[in-house]
Amino acid sequence: MARHPDDDLVPYLRGELSPAERERVARHLEECPDCRQDTELLRDLLGNLAHAIGQPPAVSWARYRAELRDKLDARRQRIGWWRRPMPLALSASLAGVLLLLAVWGGRELSRSSDPIGPDEVVMGQEFGLLQDLRTVERLDLLEDLEVLRNLDGLASEHQG
Amino acid sequence: MEPADEALCERVARRDEAAFDLLVSRYQERAYRLAWSILRNAEDARDVSQEAFIRLHEMAGSFRGRSKFSTWFYRILVNLCLDHKRKHKWWKLWVRDDDDDRAETILDRQPAPVNDPVDKLSRDETLKALGSAVDRLAPRQRAAVLLRVQEDMATYDIARVLKCSEATVRVHLHRALATLKKTVEKR
Repeated sequence: MARHPDDDLVPYLRGELSPAERERVARHLEECPDCRQDTELLRDLLGNLAHAIGQPPAVSWARYRAELRDKLDARRQRIGWWRRPMPLALSASLAGVLLLLAVWGGRELSRSSDPIGPDEVVMGQEFGLLQDLRTVERLDLLEDLEVLRNLDGLASEHQG
Repeated sequence: MEPADEALCERVARRDEAAFDLLVSRYQERAYRLAWSILRNAEDARDVSQEAFIRLHEMAGSFRGRSKFSTWFYRILVNLCLDHKRKHKWWKLWVRDDDDDRAETILDRQPAPVNDPVDKLSRDETLKALGSAVDRLAPRQRAAVLLRVQEDMATYDIARVLKCSEATVRVHLHRALATLKKTVEKR
């Protein structure tokens, strides 16, 4: 027997299945007493559910619509406030000031983040090192050369 | 001839307030009832359904007519209800909701068409248990069941409201009804 068409039973009861699907489910129901019983239970259940869920407390629809109107007007006023010329001009001015502050602050920040700090500048002037920055940068290479030379020494000692 | 919902929605997009009022009149009961069925609180249902109409007023221009107006509107409403439930879930853990209307939903409002008082009591109790079981369903399963049972919506339309595939709706419905069936069978 094919698999039980569990998910298809509700659409079957409501007549939503395509003719081929409907035929398949109907054939299965003829052969499967469990599914047949399930289908009957589902039919009853769907019928009872509407009663089981019940009805909400009564509402005065005129008051409901009046409340809705008030809420809608309040919402409109809130939106409208932003669209008036005065708040718009104020907002634009505020945005402009913020933009200026951001640009100015950014410049200050880039100035203060100079890689050479004031102490290094003083030392550089004192020792005249910054006059030839490229040489200073290559001092690291000289240190590396020193290390390599020591390594060579270590190797020859080891061999000896 | 009465104008179609879709035509009214187009007019709302052009700020036709009379068209909006007409749409509200057509949908107010259904919107409030569905919101109440999901939220189980009259005040919340009124607020959320009114919010759905406000969204309709604001967003009418985005209705493209690819689906029925009712499907589009129910999507707004159900999303608002599910959001509302999500946001207020933590609060309900701390505060018992005295305004919860669940207790008076079945026995008081739906007299069963049965003459035998014992049968009637049994049926009423079953319906009450069933109603409580619906309340305990996962939110999307509950929404699927309510759209099917209360609004008589087709699987295709429920899928569009819940923004999922038809197969997912079938699974939601199957699982929800399987749970509800167990509740009935226990009694």
